[in-house]
Amino acid sequence: MKQHLQRIPRRLAASCLLSILSLAAWGQQASTAAGSAQGTPGTFVDVAQRLGVNFQYRASHTSRKYLLETMGAGVALLDYDNDGLLDIYLVNGAPLADPTPKGTNPQKTDSQYWNRLYHQKKDGTFEDVTEKAGLQGTGYGMGVAVGDYNNDGFEDLYVTAYGGNKLYHNNGDGTFTDVTLKAGVGGSGWSTSAAWVDMDNDGFLDLIVLRYLDWDFDDVWCGEHKEGFRAYCHPDYFKPIAPLVYHNNRDGTFTEVAQKAGLSKSGKGLGLAIADYDHDGHVDLFVANDSMAEFLYHNKGDGTFEDLGLVSEVAVDIDGRTYAGMGVDFSDYNNDGWPDIVVTDLANQRYALYQNNHDGSFNYASSTLGIGQMTLAHSGWGIRFFDYDNDGWKDLLIAQGHDLDTIELTHPNLRYREPMLLARNTGHEFLDVSAQSGDVFHQAWVARGLAIGDLDNDGRLDAVVTTNDGPVHILHNETRTQNHWILLKLVGHKSNRDAIGAGIAIMTGAGLQSATVSTAGSYLSASDKRVHFGLGKDNVVPKIEIRWPSGIQQTLTNVRADQILQIDEPLNPNPLPK
Amino acid sequence: MMNVPTSDAGRFVAVIIAGVLCTTCIAAQTNEDFQRGMAEFRTGNYSAAASSFDRSEKISPGSTDALLYKAKCLIHLEDFPGAEKSLRDYLIAHTASSDAEYLLGFVLHRQNRPAESLATYTQAAALTPPTGDDLKIVGLDYVLLDDYPDAIKWLEKATEFDARNTDAWYYLGRACYANGRLGEARKAFERLLDLAPHDVRAENNLGLILETEGQPAAAIEAYRRAIKWQEQNLYQSAQPYVNLGNLLMEQGRAQEALTPLQRAIELAPDDAYCHVKLGVYYRKAGQLEGAQRELVRAAQLAPSNAAIHYQLGRLFKEIHATDRAQAEFDRAAELETRAAGSRASPADH
Repeated sequence: MKQHLQRIPRRLAASCLLSILSLAAWGQQASTAAGSAQGTPGTFVDVAQRLGVNFQYRASHTSRKYLLETMGAGVALLDYDNDGLLDIYLVNGAPLADPTPKGTNPQKTDSQYWNRLYHQKKDGTFEDVTEKAGLQGTGYGMGVAVGDYNNDGFEDLYVTAYGGNKLYHNNGDGTFTDVTLKAGVGGSGWSTSAAWVDMDNDGFLDLIVLRYLDWDFDDVWCGEHKEGFRAYCHPDYFKPIAPLVYHNNRDGTFTEVAQKAGLSKSGKGLGLAIADYDHDGHVDLFVANDSMAEFLYHNKGDGTFEDLGLVSEVAVDIDGRTYAGMGVDFSDYNNDGWPDIVVTDLANQRYALYQNNHDGSFNYASSTLGIGQMTLAHSGWGIRFFDYDNDGWKDLLIAQGHDLDTIELTHPNLRYREPMLLARNTGHEFLDVSAQSGDVFHQAWVARGLAIGDLDNDGRLDAVVTTNDGPVHILHNETRTQNHWILLKLVGHKSNRDAIGAGIAIMTGAGLQSATVSTAGSYLSASDKRVHFGLGKDNVVPKIEIRWPSGIQQTLTNVRADQILQIDEPLNPNPLPK
Repeated sequence: MMNVPTSDAGRFVAVIIAGVLCTTCIAAQTNEDFQRGMAEFRTGNYSAAASSFDRSEKISPGSTDALLYKAKCLIHLEDFPGAEKSLRDYLIAHTASSDAEYLLGFVLHRQNRPAESLATYTQAAALTPPTGDDLKIVGLDYVLLDDYPDAIKWLEKATEFDARNTDAWYYLGRACYANGRLGEARKAFERLLDLAPHDVRAENNLGLILETEGQPAAAIEAYRRAIKWQEQNLYQSAQPYVNLGNLLMEQGRAQEALTPLQRAIELAPDDAYCHVKLGVYYRKAGQLEGAQRELVRAAQLAPSNAAIHYQLGRLFKEIHATDRAQAEFDRAAELETRAAGSRASPADH
């Protein structure tokens, strides 16, 4: 018998309108399918070239198979100039000598290695404004995090790399200033995914930066000792390393507090996502570690965290085995009001889907909801829940491709280049609808980074995908649907201005949906901070409830669908009961 | 006793004659012990045979194949360290014995020393071409090294050398399955079934493949077929029972799952995996005492298995034994960290 997503009859859902969030917090079932369980496959078209985004990621592959080369890089979707249109920032690599001496910090030598900022013009095409913005970057880039750390109304950028990271302050005039030194957030080692989040709810975004391995350019041969079989070394070969955690001092500077915050546990972090999984009003963190136990950092509410991964049953798979955690998302896919977790990993492991049990623990649901079977032979990186057909159920989009470019020599059934995966959430299970969802799902890429956002503000979520040593792809969502939608842009005033960490619950005639405001998640990437909901047949949202990071509760009623709605944090505090 | 002449010359001759006679006597005795050992070996009386070969070798070191046969006896008795010593002693006097080298490779494999085993097989192959069985062990050495691509390569060669070697087909199927190469695994098990219809191992593994492919109904049928095929066997495998019970449990058919899980433990009382699965069944069924009993037993049988301690932690958490739960989670984390450390070698990813 298939395990169904949690559902309640429509008549019970109506009574839930009394208080969506508090009801969910008390652990009652509050979910129905928002839209039809039938729905349609997606229609996605790669428009990168047509829109003028000709970015090429340079990995600089060498004969030495430095692990750095196979990781790819991230992408950010942000509106840096507040013109209402999403822009694209892409991270790039740097040249590597073959061999590269130990201790080298690779640097970008010329423009082909630059990171790139593409500004979206009014006609929907993009222009490269990298030089004007001053965002060429340095070093061998990895990830990018987006957040307005000084609450000035302009999104800032934090770019991670091997050998040191950069914080770029948005000057509000189309330019950015490298304020890394002044801010004290340069870090060291091999940084990967980063997230802006207000750890202590003081109204200013703090910064969490994962690091992957204690690694250097050692000439280590892994794989078979014969021509063509040299392979990238397994992460087991290297020691784990602690993340970097920067508390915002509210004056443009930061203090490194990993130890003090209880976040100094060494890991092999690649993916980072945030959500308040236990509804205690404090944002928690999930860290996807490669080939070791995953971490679920519970926010204790005093600015410190504790790892409850094993206790919460999200550190390993159903049999207690670790896997190669890569990308992650932390979102309520089954519309019960509680954030769930999905983690990508390597072929033969199955992506891990953890369903929130509402009691601080999770249920490993990969094998019962279709994810396990459809992902067994695939290797996933960037991943996001998103409702591509606006039917009210969050689907899954996954960037895929093995980490080993030699994999087909040793595993003839696996592929280095793989098509993307689109898994449709029917409300009962996930179905692989990739093959019916456009030519882009028939093209094999070495996909890595993935960001989601509504590039053309048409209510249908688009995606941008990076590839290792290849071009960027913009997956324009052209799915034919009459379903309604709403896009919420929250502006914090007591809370951090991006409202990162705010919990949103909406009740439609068909049921509850919930989400957390975040730019983090996926793999090395940052998505549109605006929160999208598919509404199915409803052209009005009867109720929207917001729990701001400040604790302020806000309720909106009878909100018209099919619009981008800015919601400002009210100034009169009315804290939700915990 | 014969008379001994008293002159020096005569004394010398007498000594030589005595020596010859004595050698003849010893040789006869040695030969007698060796022949007795061979007779006992042929009848499967390996312990007595080993003693006879031992006596034979002590009386006349290196003059017979006593040490080689003693090693064979000890292999039958599963005394692999003893067999290794015997073979190494034999090879001192018989440096070009490929039989001894191949046997030594096998003995090292059985002692979980795959790298040394492979080196020995390489030396043996320089003397005499290997058989399908030898290549099979080479393949299994690579399995022990967690190098599945090479394991598959050598197991494929084993089946090429000897297309009727059912064990080689079985292990090839297992290696392919463990490596996620399900299509090749299926072909190997189907070939095995061609050679040995009603082979329980093959059918059970076809069930595992079907289960992995997301065909639970077909997998359940395969496990049930395997169980039926072994009903009349003196020796019955626990594997199809535990696999059937586990899958029925996953499919929400708990009522049907209990009997096969219990039968698996009857057949393999010291198999930690069977106890884990029954423990998980009891936990899901709310029979927490039974769950604790089975999982604790599993942990006793496989104390270094992190996953078992994780399952125990989940159970103790459920019964609100918080400290014990935390201890088990901590133990799981510690074992996993240790395992990750032991994996730290520049091998294939």
